[in-house]
Amino acid sequence: MSEYKKEFRYFTIFDYEKEQEYLSWMHERGWKFTMVYFPGIYCFEPCKPEKVMYQLDYNQEGLAHKAEYLQMFADCGWEYLLEFMGYSYFRKPAAEMKEDEGIFCDDDSRLDMMKRVFRGRMVPLLCIFLAVLLPQLSIQLTDRAWTQGAFRSSIFWLYLVLVIVYMIFFIRFAIHYWHFNNRRR
Amino acid sequence: MDAHIKKVYVPMTETGFYILLCLRMPNHGYGIIQRVEAMTDGEIRLAPGTMYGSLSKMEKDGLIAFVQEQDKRKIYQITKLGEEVLALEMKRIKRLYRSVEEAQQ
Repeated sequence: MSEYKKEFRYFTIFDYEKEQEYLSWMHERGWKFTMVYFPGIYCFEPCKPEKVMYQLDYNQEGLAHKAEYLQMFADCGWEYLLEFMGYSYFRKPAAEMKEDEGIFCDDDSRLDMMKRVFRGRMVPLLCIFLAVLLPQLSIQLTDRAWTQGAFRSSIFWLYLVLVIVYMIFFIRFAIHYWHFNNRRR
Repeated sequence: MDAHIKKVYVPMTETGFYILLCLRMPNHGYGIIQRVEAMTDGEIRLAPGTMYGSLSKMEKDGLIAFVQEQDKRKIYQITKLGEEVLALEMKRIKRLYRSVEEAQQ
């Protein structure tokens, strides 16, 4: 058996719940999460199979005051693992919990975290989208009339693909937000 | 008290209420978590992500103020504005309690 394991998994910035479940699932099968690097290579080492809760927080302010931020989690029994793409990774064995426990205890704070992700990650993307991509695409479309073969220009296709990728991103965020709000009610 | 504070904090979350209640005495986040657990016989256990987020939000909104740092833990205390908000909440909760009592008679 190899000493460690690497797996590629792609989670978008809104998939932190799926990512948490994935890491817990691996730990329960005897694979302890050790590190992750771009673009989504997750590294594990063998361990005793155990039920361990993994949690992700997105808090820029916490990262700016890291010592006291991590102290609060440590006081509550959460082991800090690493930081990746603005997210802080924590874990805590289920055996140390009285009941199911997470790093958030109410939906208001879960929604606050989603808003921090939105401000930290989506707003910059939206700016690029509105200030660069959309204008560029329309310039491409007006400058080169259809007859002049806008479709044959690779730059046109590049912008079009980017616009579509961005749109998918925005729609996914909207769906995620909508689901969350529905679940709250 | 401006409209923003009223909109965000009246009514407030259980977490917010317990933070203000506990910070009438200077304390840090984990200290509040422990006190609330003791006060409610272990029924309410506030989580660190929620606590950290609420404390920074309340500090920004001027409901609580930073006092000093001790062993990497920030100690806060309630402000005048925080006391006003807490008083409003207490009034609201007392009214709820009275209604519950009346309904059960």
